[in-house]
Amino acid sequence: MNFSFLTKYWQFYLIGAKNTILLAVLAVAFGTTIGITLALMKLSKRAPLRFVATAYIEFIRGTPLLVQLFIIYYGLQAIGIRFPDSPWISAAIGMNFSDFMSGVITLGINSGAYVGEIFRAGIQAVDKGQMEAARSLGMPHGMAMREIIIPQAIRNILPALGNEFIVVIKESSIVSIIGIADLMYKADTIRGNTFQPFEPLLVAALIYFLMTFPLSKLLAHVERRMRAGD
Amino acid sequence: MIKTLDLRKSFGKLPVLNGITNEFAKGEVSVIIGPSGSGKSTFLRCLNLLEAPTSGTVIFEGVDITKAGHDLDLHRRKMGMVFQLFNLFPHMTVLENVTLAPRKLRGLSVEESKDAAMVLLRRVGLEEKAAAYPSQLSGGQKQRIAIVRALAMQPDVMLFDEPTSALDPEMVGEVLDVMKNLAAEGMTMIVVTHEMRFAREVGTRVLFMDEGLIAEEGPPGKLFGSPENPRTREFLRKVL
Repeated sequence: MNFSFLTKYWQFYLIGAKNTILLAVLAVAFGTTIGITLALMKLSKRAPLRFVATAYIEFIRGTPLLVQLFIIYYGLQAIGIRFPDSPWISAAIGMNFSDFMSGVITLGINSGAYVGEIFRAGIQAVDKGQMEAARSLGMPHGMAMREIIIPQAIRNILPALGNEFIVVIKESSIVSIIGIADLMYKADTIRGNTFQPFEPLLVAALIYFLMTFPLSKLLAHVERRMRAGD
Repeated sequence: MIKTLDLRKSFGKLPVLNGITNEFAKGEVSVIIGPSGSGKSTFLRCLNLLEAPTSGTVIFEGVDITKAGHDLDLHRRKMGMVFQLFNLFPHMTVLENVTLAPRKLRGLSVEESKDAAMVLLRRVGLEEKAAAYPSQLSGGQKQRIAIVRALAMQPDVMLFDEPTSALDPEMVGEVLDVMKNLAAEGMTMIVVTHEMRFAREVGTRVLFMDEGLIAEEGPPGKLFGSPENPRTREFLRKVL
């Protein structure tokens, strides 16, 4: 084992880790937005909305992330759809912004399907009597959701949602295939430059772990604290 | 106060209410009794439209609330409801449970709603539980808080859906006492219950429901003393 390449290449890891975090945070934000929308659609009284949401969720969950990434990255270009490029943002993040957005949007679209199911299950797990009690006091539906149902749903949702965030951090490594300079891509670059096929991957794995492990510990802590309120 | 006209409700193909026409007057304590599955709870839940009737009319304070085009939430604020399983909000303290709706819906300030809540909590003997969470309360305490929560909206009528059925026997009394006091103060009440003693002692009118209809009604002395309907007689023989 020889880790002397780190003295020369440690900044690669730093940039890669930064880009992975940026990618994951944006993808999670986008995915959560899609997910909440899907959950509300699935719980809607209108059958067409339920159908669209169910079809979306089933299709996304039933196809590989890599295929989805290629469809967004190559497929949309082929039919003339391209995410707007911004030289200014590209320079700021050190990556091609248009490519980067392909990654964010694919991960968001994918994660949204899972987050949608998490939210739906969390909302449905709240006892029916809670909505009835709120409505019987005269609260409109929206207020009952906001004040009574969602706060209790969050408690149900939080563990699974945190887990989904961790999944996104890990799965985001797939975007290295389309040349986004994330942690995995940088590790690959180091492997090529140093002719060391193995050790750079170990370092990358360790860095991924250092991102996900504290997050899962933090979630466990928050979960315990919310339990204490019961 | 509340009038129903030919109120019907079916769940799928199963008919539960078969056309109930009745009237609940102001100040009356109406107690609805009957075998399980007779539609008592469904009838009560149709009065504030928690359950949407299949057909028929509910008139509350002169307004047909089954008709579209008016704000049902405004009417519900005048109809307090107490549930079998309490349905307190578990993520809020007792005080928050009681003050939330008055603040949000009646426009009271934090101070005003708190003062009003403490007066009500004192009346049911639970002022020292204001900062507690529902999970820290006994069943009887929870139900007393649920009554206070409904009263905090200053309703014109209180609906009770088997309020003591989920309680341990030794806690039934404390909840019934609160309801008795409420009746003594002149509150209009509609109570679905299996507590025959409560029906007899507190009710001003007892309604016996059977197969989705009100089979017999009358003052408690008459209904318990000399019931006319054979179904009423049979039911009372079993429960008394």
